[in-house]
Amino acid sequence: MKSKTSTPRNPTVAEKLRHLLISQEGVLFVIMLVSVLFLATRTDKFLTVDNLLQQGRFMTEVGLIAIPMTYIIITGGIDLSVGSILGLTAIVLGWTWQELGFPLELAIITGILSGTVAGFVNGLFIVRVGVPPLIMTLATLALYRGLAEGISEARSARGYPEWFFQLGQGEFLGIPTQLWLLIIAVVIFGIILARTRLGRALYAIGNNETGARFSGLTVNRYLLFIYTFSGFMSAVAGYIFVSRVSTTRSDMGTGMELDVIAAVVLGGTSIFGGTGSIPGTIVGVVLIQLLKNGLTLSGVTSDATIVVIGSVLIFAILVNNFIQSRRGG
Amino acid sequence: MSKTKTSLVKRGPAHFIGIALALVIIGAYFLLPFVIQPERGPSTVAVVTESKKTNELNIFKTGVELIPLAGLGVLLLGAWNVIVPGASRAISFLMSVTGLLVVVYYINFFRDYAAGEATFISNMGSAFWIMLVAGILCILQILIPRGISERRYRITKLFGNQESIILFGLLFLIFVVGIANPRFLQERNISDILQGNAYIAVAALGMTMVIVTGNIDISVGSLVGLLAVISGRLVVAGLPAPLAWLAPLIVGAGFGALIGFLVAYLRIPSIVVTLGMLSIIKGILIIWAQGERVRDMPADYFLSQMRPLGIPMPIIIMVALTIVVVLWMRYSATGRAFYALGGNAEAARLSGLSQKRLLMTVFILNGVFIGIASVMYSTQFNIIQATPPPALELSVITASVVGGVSILGGTGTAIGSTMATLLLNFIRSAMIFINVSPFWLKAVQGLLILATVLADLIRRRRQRL
Repeated sequence: MKSKTSTPRNPTVAEKLRHLLISQEGVLFVIMLVSVLFLATRTDKFLTVDNLLQQGRFMTEVGLIAIPMTYIIITGGIDLSVGSILGLTAIVLGWTWQELGFPLELAIITGILSGTVAGFVNGLFIVRVGVPPLIMTLATLALYRGLAEGISEARSARGYPEWFFQLGQGEFLGIPTQLWLLIIAVVIFGIILARTRLGRALYAIGNNETGARFSGLTVNRYLLFIYTFSGFMSAVAGYIFVSRVSTTRSDMGTGMELDVIAAVVLGGTSIFGGTGSIPGTIVGVVLIQLLKNGLTLSGVTSDATIVVIGSVLIFAILVNNFIQSRRGG
Repeated sequence: MSKTKTSLVKRGPAHFIGIALALVIIGAYFLLPFVIQPERGPSTVAVVTESKKTNELNIFKTGVELIPLAGLGVLLLGAWNVIVPGASRAISFLMSVTGLLVVVYYINFFRDYAAGEATFISNMGSAFWIMLVAGILCILQILIPRGISERRYRITKLFGNQESIILFGLLFLIFVVGIANPRFLQERNISDILQGNAYIAVAALGMTMVIVTGNIDISVGSLVGLLAVISGRLVVAGLPAPLAWLAPLIVGAGFGALIGFLVAYLRIPSIVVTLGMLSIIKGILIIWAQGERVRDMPADYFLSQMRPLGIPMPIIIMVALTIVVVLWMRYSATGRAFYALGGNAEAARLSGLSQKRLLMTVFILNGVFIGIASVMYSTQFNIIQATPPPALELSVITASVVGGVSILGGTGTAIGSTMATLLLNFIRSAMIFINVSPFWLKAVQGLLILATVLADLIRRRRQRL
């Protein structure tokens, strides 16, 4: 019914499988399997349920932000301010609770709200004033981090009550609490991107913004929504971050934007927009986290792992380009 | 009287508010000294310099609170004028800035005063001058209309580009902050700012060329860090200083060639390549340097500390390279080709330009400039840090963008990026000199970057109409 393949007959299972294998997600998945197997032979501490769940805990923040980042990059935009929004949220949370004496529940809501507003401001300027996303979010990267520093005055907030740590350090049904959140978010927003009008609109905008406008899509409203959404998810990630590390500092999430973008790009989303998927992004996030962890466990210093990750990023795009051009030609 | 006379702005609410504000501010400027010290007469400066014994004075009975309110008024009126047609936009913009300064001053002052750390006179002396400027601007905005006479059109054409805006911003900043705190203008301070940031300006030259072709390089920071350590270790190992200066240029060109190859021939987007290179280079640096700072370099190594003809070396290099790059990009065939490539890659290809070769050239050149920047950075102090300078890539990209390089490629000049580097760092230093809390530095900087970008956008939109 909604099949968009050029062949009128239904593809056979073998064809489907082949199609899946040479997609970016497929290639990446194979790379991931190979590296997991390789790392598992190097150390027996790597492929254990405990360790993998622990890694799930660590990658949740990047994973949550990578979802809206995928949306944004699909439309041909970018959001560099996510790390700063994370820091701002954390500071607002800690500051309203400790300095202003808000109840902690209210402080959490205020924090997430301020992060969402930060994303909304990005979207507003990008849509209404027409500032290119890269420049707008470059400016707010400095601005939001600056606000966080200014509000906190380099003080950290700690001493949260026990229940606050449930999200960041607790478990639910034997799986880290925040991982549930990530899984639910991935499923919901993956379906939204792949199966709903909103998702199709994002691809349309990324492929041809003017064309999308002329086809009657409310492009501005979609863009405003995804940048606000990015602010919201960064804020939620900020809350989880604070809950995981038990303290609030203004430099939280510094440089995170690059981790997130690397994961999204690794997952097959073209930086020029128009293509990409949530499953690909998640494979990208998981691959980076497993590589980091596996290499560290097998005795590579944690600094050296970033060399491997950088190389994998370039290599994966290279392989993908090669395969896509073969298929296209 | 006569309706044909167009030299006055049409009367509107802004007109009367402007007059009222000017009266309040200029009135306060001349009258406050009387209120505080009736026997002193109207010389504010005399009061400022002589009186330190007015601590016991209760300033809140003198109506001082009116001034920050007036400052806020000037700020809002200026902002209003920028949006709504009427007065000259430039004057209105300056009004906003002075208004903001007055407000910032008073907030600082009230805070210190409440903490018992300041007297009115000791802290407010220089603010009086800014108030006077604000008052005069209020009157000017009534007198000078916004409009396009022929002369104005020509002036706009001449000065209406991003480079001139930044130059004026720079001069205005130096002027206002210099009045507020004369120590800002000391030769030592100015020269410190220029010297300390010249390497950023040089790196921004390379970045400008890269962005003009429609690409970007976010691995600058890591590469500067790595090349600096390479240079330092070579000279410590006994290489003559000139060779140790040359090595980073060559290695930088090598990395540039690698990036250029990946971008031009393997067609990976530059942002992805340099994102990967950022990690790779940083990792190499950390593994190789093991966090050990390089020290004990021979005395003849410190290029940045030399002062031929009494002028610090970094300033000479920065100015010379900026001039060379400006001329080269403007007049050489390759320089023009960069603009063509960034403006319309397809058209450039059809007119016979080799995109691949151009991309290789631009990234190799960028590598060389990063090499020069790293030498300037590594010879600055007696120790070379084994970590990349923090967030350098952001400073460099910001400088290029604020300097008028369109991130979409095709426009921008090197002089803009150099002046933008200076402007951003002057702002940073100025904020310290007018007592902005260091914790808020970055926030104010972010706001100013945003303001510059918006100004550029508004200007372009107006020119298109």
